[in-house]
Parts: sequence; structure tokens; C-alpha cells
Amino acid sequence: METSIHRYLENIDFALDHNRNQYHSTAVLDRLSSLDLPANSRIVALTEKDLFIPILTHVYGEAELGGVSCIVSSSRLKDDLPAIERDKLLGNRIIKEILHELGHTFHLLHCRDKSCLMHYCRSIRDVDRKVMGMCRYCSILLEDQLKRG
Amino acid sequence: MPKTKILIVDDELIMRESLGGWLERDGYEVHKAASGEEALELIRNIRFDVLLVDIKMNGMSGIDLLKEVKSSDPDAAVVMITAYGSISSSIEAMKLGAQDYLLKPFDPNELGVLIEKILESRAKTLENLYLRDQYRERTRFESMIGQSPRMQEIFNLIEDISPIDSTVLITGETGTGKGLAAKAIHTQSPRCEGPFMGINCGAIPEHLMESELFGYQKGAFTDAKENKKGKLELANGGTLFLDEIGEISMRMQIDLLRVLEDRVFYRVGGTQPIESDFRIIAATNMDIETAIKKGQFREDLYYRLNVISFKMPPLRERKEDIPLLAKQFLFRFSQEMNREVNRIDRDTMDEMMLYEWPGNIRELENAVERAVVVCKSDSIIPGDLPIFSPELREQPLSGTLMEVEKEHIRKTLDSNDWNISRSAKALGIDRSTLYSKIKKYGLSGNG
Ligand SMILES: [Zn+2]
Ligand SMILES: [Zn+2]
Repeated sequence: METSIHRYLENIDFALDHNRNQYHSTAVLDRLSSLDLPANSRIVALTEKDLFIPILTHVYGEAELGGVSCIVSSSRLKDDLPAIERDKLLGNRIIKEILHELGHTFHLLHCRDKSCLMHYCRSIRDVDRKVMGMCRYCSILLEDQLKRG
Repeated sequence: MPKTKILIVDDELIMRESLGGWLERDGYEVHKAASGEEALELIRNIRFDVLLVDIKMNGMSGIDLLKEVKSSDPDAAVVMITAYGSISSSIEAMKLGAQDYLLKPFDPNELGVLIEKILESRAKTLENLYLRDQYRERTRFESMIGQSPRMQEIFNLIEDISPIDSTVLITGETGTGKGLAAKAIHTQSPRCEGPFMGINCGAIPEHLMESELFGYQKGAFTDAKENKKGKLELANGGTLFLDEIGEISMRMQIDLLRVLEDRVFYRVGGTQPIESDFRIIAATNMDIETAIKKGQFREDLYYRLNVISFKMPPLRERKEDIPLLAKQFLFRFSQEMNREVNRIDRDTMDEMMLYEWPGNIRELENAVERAVVVCKSDSIIPGDLPIFSPELREQPLSGTLMEVEKEHIRKTLDSNDWNISRSAKALGIDRSTLYSKIKKYGLSGNG
């Protein structure tokens, strides 16, 4: 698998909701999905802005189920960081959430296994509890999806 | 168990879409309606586990929808979605039977916890129903009666495949007697001395399925006070019948595939591999190949199950068997109810031959059962059959306790298509009590 970093969007101001002072994640996903991307690729956007969808107060991230794009916000992932190894822990949280959202783009749904990457996290502590990997079921389902292409 | 179905009712597209997307990623089957009217239309055909209803909508209001839903299905779990400033209507909604209400925009945790709470209490009810029901399967041998060429073919086929120890997949619409065919295969196979273990994958709550199939080790979870053998273990030396296999979750499919491949499994919470020797017969009324294309059923599992397969014919394709079946049912029910009904008149039989029987033999069985109950002479006339009765009319509720009871029983019977067993269960009384009450109140489906 190849990974590369691009500057597709200068900013996500177009997604700003002035009343809520938050950014509408679905609007960003729509913009990203309309880009001309190489076949079979996925695009992950990373932002420091706080994200929301209209019905909810906030989201850590959002992905198109079985689609190409997803987004993760580090804004709330910075909560409750310990004094030591701050950056490492924050990095881990971000990577976990990115892999989680990427999982959705491969049709994976939330998993009840609390240590699995596809578990839906209710709190930052839940994020820290997840390991950097998927449970047996999610791994098999992901493999299936990769085989399908 | 089928996926949990949630209906979102909101006239704002963006709210429906954002809530729907979130719930889909959480693994629910989501349906959306843009108005109360549209919601009622959907409810007519689909039973939802949870309804999320916006209070303020153009046209029919959320409160009116709630009233409608509750009057037809008092157990429905309805959660109201409300904006700041309409708290008073939320309180009114709670009085009218809404489960809870959410103030939008809501915290994702709040929604998650609420839905989980609702599903947990529903699972408990289902669990109790399942545990109470599992030994009262209403399958009787008449369904395997048939002189039609289609049934003769099936009998020959069953004879041929019974001695072969391969996995069998039986397809066919509901009510065609797939379970009985499975039993017949078992009885004619070399495993006939062994157990026949059936499990209805469509009726078991997901969290119970695992322990039902695999059993559990003491201490695996809070309720696991001792070791328990699962159906796989209990089927040792015999046949395991997996009914409604199309309904099992993706996780269970992965587990089942592993069992079929390795013939070894573990109890929940167990570390010791357990071997069990059984033949699998699976049945489904679903079009599995379509489910595979949609990614809802594993192709590898399908090939493991579909070594030998055949289809039980629908009743409309073997109508020549209807008179024979109907007479068998008539004989049985008139005896059970101790009623002197011994004939089905010519017109009735003609009507029965013309009808398409979408519910197949089970529908015929229920129709005859009800006809025996409401019949006023020794012979069944067309008006005794629910399929040909005029529309049932609503009667206003009035005061006395007896009238309330009568009305309640009638409603329950109607909503269960006059299936006596189901109605009795819903009312919490036994069949004979129900029969005597029907008699006492002179109830019949004709209003
Ligand atoms: Zn997620
Ligand atoms: Zn998982």
C-alpha cells in the first residue's frame, strides 16, 4: 500500500458553521470525494478544527461508509493528555482514529470488542484502551473487502 | 436474528442524513421517512425496533405519529427528538408512551447509551420468549403430506440424500415445511439414533446465539454459573438443523465457517478445543445469492453449506394437495377443540383452491384452525375463513370489565391473524382458556 501527503484543500473554512463555531465534517468529505483521485485510493483529511454533524454536538471524525474519503479531528483528542510522553500518546490516538475511519471506507462497522480499532469510542479513555489493531472478526471482514477490490 | 431496524422520522433532510449515517456506521439497518405520513406507510410493512421521531414537523406532528404508532403497537420504542423551547411537548410525549427524548443537537454518547438501553430491554423480552418457546415448536407432520408430483419428487430426493453424510441446504418460502423436511432427512439417515438439534437463527437474540451454539464455560460471563453445552456439542452423533440461516450475523458466519472447516470449536470462555461429529442441515427463505452480492452473506460459508440443496415447493405450486391437507387440519383441530365440525363445504373448498396462500401450509393451518373456532355449524363455509371475510371494523371501547376483556381479546386475535397459539401467548393464557373465552363472548373475525 502506498501513502502520500497532498495539499488538496487550503483550508476548510467553507465547512464552518458560524452559529456553532464548528466545522461540518460531511461538507469536507463531499469536497474531498469530488477530487480526481487515482483508482482504489482512499483519502484521509486531518484537521485541528472541531468537527460536527448537524444532529450531534461533535464527532472525532467521519467517514463515508464504503466510500473514498474520511476525516479526523485532533481537537478533542488533545483532552486529558498526561505531562510525559504527550506527543507519543496524541500521535497514537490520531493514528487509531485514522485507521478507524479508514476501516469505515472499507465497509467495516463498529465492533463491540473494546480493544478493537473499530470499536466506537465514547470517551478519550476508550480511545486509549484500544490497541493498534483489529480483532479477529474485523480483520477477516477487512481482508474480504480488500479481496473484493 | 435480523439486524436491528431503526426508523428516523424528520422533515429536515440534513438531520435524517447525518443521523442515518452515524447509525449505519454503528451497524444498524436505518430507514428514513420525511413525514409522519411516510413513516406510517413504512410501518405497515416493516417492524422497527426503535423509532426516532422529530416532534416538530410539517404536516402530521411527531406527537400525532407517536399516538398512531402506540395505538397499533404499544411495545414500539419511540424516542422523540426535540429542539430547545419545545420541552413541554416532550413531556407530553413521555406521558403518551414515548421511551425518552433527546434535545438536538445531542451528544453521540447520549444517543448510543439510549439505544443500547432500549435494545437491552427488548433483548431480555425476546430472550424470555425464546427460552419459553424453544420446546413448543409448532411443526406437525401433516405438512409433509402430499400426493402431488412436486411432493413425490421431494420424498424421492429425501430418500436419496438421507444416507449421504453431506451438508444440505433447504430453500423455500416460509411455511413450506423446511423444518419437517430436515427432520425427515435425519430420520432416514444412519444418524437417526443420534439427536436432532434444531436452532432457529432468526429467533435468537444475537448475544444468546453464541452461547446457544457453542455453550459456555462457568464464569465466562455473569450469568454463567456452571458449564453449559451448546447445540454443536449436543448434536454429537446426530444432526444439527440451522433454520433461517440467512439471518445470522457476520460474526456468527465467521465462527460457523471455522467450525465447518476445522470441525473443532471452543465454548464461550473456554480454552479447550471441543470436537463434535454432526451433520448440518440448513434452511432459509432468503435469496442467499443476492445476499452474497450485497455483502450480507459470506460466499465461502454458502459453498460449505450448499453441498446438496433443494427447494420446498410453495403451496400454490401443489394445489392438488390442498383438500388433503385441509381435511387433516380440520380433523386435528376439531378434535383438539372438541367441536363437531367435520366438513368443508364445496364453495369453501373452491375458494381455497383459488387462493394463492402466500403464507403456504402454515397459513392454511391457521385458516382452518380459526374456521373451526368461529364455525357455527358442522361444516365450514367461506365466511369462516379469514382470507374471505369482509374488512374487520373497529368497535368503540366501553366501560365494563367484561367488555374491555372481550375487546382486548378480539384485538389480540385480529392482530395475530386469529392464530390461537400466538394470541394465547400474547394474552398470557393457555389455548383452552382462550377457546372458552372466544365461545363465551361469541367472538368471530367477522366483527
Ligand atoms: Zn466509527
Ligand atoms: Zn473488531
